[in-house]
Amino acid sequence: MKPMQPLTPAQFDLTAASICAAVLPHLWRLPWLFSTPILILLIGRWLQRRRGGARLPTWIKLPLILLFPVLIIFHYGNIFGREPGAALACAMLALKLVETESRRDARAAICFASFVLMSALLFANSLGFTLLLFAALTLLLAAMRELEPRAADASVQNRRATVTVDLRSGAIALAAAVPLAVCVFVFLPRLGSPLWGAPDDTSARTGLGDRMAPGSVQQLLIDDSPAFRVSFDGPLPPRAELYWRGPVLWYFDGTTWTRPGYLASNRGAADLQTATPTIAYDVSLEPTDRRWLLALDMPVAAPDNAVRGADMTLVSRTPVDRLLRYHAVSAPKYRLDATLDPQQRALALELPPGLDPQARALAQRWRSELRSDDVIIRAALDLFHKEFFYTLNAPLLGRDSVDDFLFDTRRGFCEHFASAFTFLMRAASIPARVVTGYQGGYFNAAGDYLVVRQSDAHAWSEVWLAGRGWVRVDPTAAVSPQRVQLGARAAAGARAPWYQADWLQLLRNRLDVVNRFWNDAIVQFNALRQQSLLTPFGIAKADYVDLMWTLIGASSVLLGLFAWWVLRAPRTAADPLDAAYARLRRKLDRAGAPSLATEGPLTLAARGEDHWPGNRALQRLFANYVGLRYAGALSSTQAVREFARAVAALRLRAHKP
Amino acid sequence: MTTSRLAPVATTPPLEPELAAALARALQQVNNVVLGKNPQVRLAFACFLAGGHLLIEDLPGVGKTTLAHALAATLDLSFQRVQFTSDLLPSDIIGVSVYERERAAFKFHPGPLFAQLVLADEINRATPKTQSALLEAMQEQQVTVDGITHGLPSPFFVVATQNPLDLAGTYPLPDSQLDRFMLRISLDYPDRDAERALLAAADRREVIGHLQPCLDNAQILAVRAAAAQVLASPALIDYVQALLAASRSHADIRVGLSPRAGLALLNAARACAVLAGRSYCVPEDVQQVFAGVAAHRLIPGSASNRTRDQLAAALLTQVAVRQAIA
Repeated sequence: MKPMQPLTPAQFDLTAASICAAVLPHLWRLPWLFSTPILILLIGRWLQRRRGGARLPTWIKLPLILLFPVLIIFHYGNIFGREPGAALACAMLALKLVETESRRDARAAICFASFVLMSALLFANSLGFTLLLFAALTLLLAAMRELEPRAADASVQNRRATVTVDLRSGAIALAAAVPLAVCVFVFLPRLGSPLWGAPDDTSARTGLGDRMAPGSVQQLLIDDSPAFRVSFDGPLPPRAELYWRGPVLWYFDGTTWTRPGYLASNRGAADLQTATPTIAYDVSLEPTDRRWLLALDMPVAAPDNAVRGADMTLVSRTPVDRLLRYHAVSAPKYRLDATLDPQQRALALELPPGLDPQARALAQRWRSELRSDDVIIRAALDLFHKEFFYTLNAPLLGRDSVDDFLFDTRRGFCEHFASAFTFLMRAASIPARVVTGYQGGYFNAAGDYLVVRQSDAHAWSEVWLAGRGWVRVDPTAAVSPQRVQLGARAAAGARAPWYQADWLQLLRNRLDVVNRFWNDAIVQFNALRQQSLLTPFGIAKADYVDLMWTLIGASSVLLGLFAWWVLRAPRTAADPLDAAYARLRRKLDRAGAPSLATEGPLTLAARGEDHWPGNRALQRLFANYVGLRYAGALSSTQAVREFARAVAALRLRAHKP
Repeated sequence: MTTSRLAPVATTPPLEPELAAALARALQQVNNVVLGKNPQVRLAFACFLAGGHLLIEDLPGVGKTTLAHALAATLDLSFQRVQFTSDLLPSDIIGVSVYERERAAFKFHPGPLFAQLVLADEINRATPKTQSALLEAMQEQQVTVDGITHGLPSPFFVVATQNPLDLAGTYPLPDSQLDRFMLRISLDYPDRDAERALLAAADRREVIGHLQPCLDNAQILAVRAAAAQVLASPALIDYVQALLAASRSHADIRVGLSPRAGLALLNAARACAVLAGRSYCVPEDVQQVFAGVAAHRLIPGSASNRTRDQLAAALLTQVAVRQAIA
């Protein structure tokens, strides 16, 4: 058995840093029950080792090893699955650092750390996060290199220089792996599910719910993350038409609007008459964990794998637990439900008994004084227009929320207006319902697509008028036309916080193009895409076995090329002085002064003086090369680096003989 | 033009300024006598400074003797010329012990070898026995007569000449003996201008008579010491080794260069560096002396129709100065 090789301080620190880098991507979402002891273990171990503490006895380590599985079973109920598995891996990795004393330990720890690091991709796979993991991986590779045995004299004594060299070699190793990674990415046989497909997080994501209570939209208005992205087949429709229809809400209990579950599947065939032109577009919906799909008013048909409810709500057959792409066609000019189903009419007129007497009274007065539905709607909108303010800082409302809003606070945003308006209409015997969704969006000219953010969430009303069917009425537009024209925040006149400065917004919109590419090209790369990528190369239908053979063949070729390159590169080419001098000779060659390998530097210097008389920089370079190579000044790596830099900076006019 | 922030690499010159000036003057003075033979004169100086001996292989009348004379006068060396003939005996050059009656003892009468610069003219006319005596003395820098060792003066520099054409009745030096000469040069005919100057100017012998010594013995020893100190960097030794290795593996060469030849190459290159005012050797120094050091030591293969000089030149064009970047 080989004797144990103890770790140097530099080796231990790099190993510890690698383990921290592997655990950190998990730490933010681990319950504190795990993240706290893991942090304590890591920091404590580092301090203990720094003080030169002795190796920990087994009676301390053993209980620690048993502690974590028990905690995990206590917290998650079992030890299998993604969440408990990741927690267990992180904890065990931290414990591995506690017992890491020899090089062999450290190597095992780093290998395991790379597994833990990659498992973070099961939880998030955005571009930024992936890049972060690559940075961490570089650190791991650097630590691996530091663990390599090397000649004592070859190692640089300076600690920082060592780490720099390690990191550089780690980055090179990572870059060298890229071709192989691309090859595996393209050819590895896919299952039908997308990359890194994994049972999803059950923790809530923000997004439209199937209910609207005061403040629920407000939560969204401050959330700037993209909700979905749309690329239109034709030109971008005017902004005022960009009503993205989400769940339609029918029930009102006095504070909250909700939706009857059965409406989703009930009576799929609605009476929709549409006129041309229609708008066709592709939507990439960010995961919501809910089943709503968004479409412009009114969707002509349901996308694949989704149904269209009686109220034109699009509902996916499965929860949207990963990025979903679908194609939709909408008709901006339409007539929906020329005759109203009695059941729906009853639902659209229902009011919570006993609440909001003032609002009911007002509506009934309108009904008796005013002749037609149109005039009543106009009266309600006039009321909002004259005396109400649009603000994101709406005061709290009491039990009679509609009364409080209409006659007391008179300030609010879309959900207040939609709620109050719908209530008034119902009280005035006009069938009405609340529609939630998004309004507008930001057109990203750089990527030619529309990005709709959570902050674009909106709520409006639909009223049923005899002969015209369901008509969209946006009471918020009556109060604040800018809401529809400019967006919620601009309409509220809120001063943008620093993190929403214009230049930052611009930058974010540019970045969104990259994110969209990442989502489309990498995360969404599935069996279908793989097939379409291979079709141009004559692989019409590749089954798993074909793909597997292709993968093996292609990676063997790549590995072979790589091995050939590594073995072929002369070892001495690593000498920086030789490399810089070779570069100088190539420059001379290109500038019209070719040289032979059998010619010495002074010969070349004389030729240089012949061709470029008075070029002192060139002569200085040759003098320095001779000095460094032959006059024994080679000890200074600094001088060699400067020489290389000067060679790089040298510009020669082409010599014409 | 690029402005370079590159700091020059500091090196120290090998000689004190006055000494360097005196050396340059000496070189110039010999060149003024032996017209148009700069490279050969330089090699002769390098050979002398490196402590070797010089073999001049050439036709009669191209200035071999003049060169030797000029060197002796310029370097302030005592000079002896020995014309080698087939009846020359070793004692003729070394000297003899003669019994002196009044002192009742043998007294050693030193021969012409006891001079600082010995011109051994037409060395291949003497018998191998005499040649051996000379070469032994060159090697050991001492002679032993009747059991008594006599040291030869220092510096001791033998310039031997050899006529390559007139071979009848000669004893050409065997290859092993040639190895004793550090450098072999040939003077060849002067070029047109130099020859014209030679014809127009005063008699060379008269010119030599008026030469002033430029370096004294102490200075010569100092320059020799400096030459021995010249730095041969690992990169340069790589190059020398590569040349030696190439000579040993070349298809047309039967016997390549010996380690002694390598040492001679390095030392001659060192002396060359001093002449160029450098305290370190560069590949060009090696290249300058390579043909002189190597050509007479290379033994061509029987199938080869190339001369020794051509082979030496071929080696130079075949070995990269720096293997790593070849």
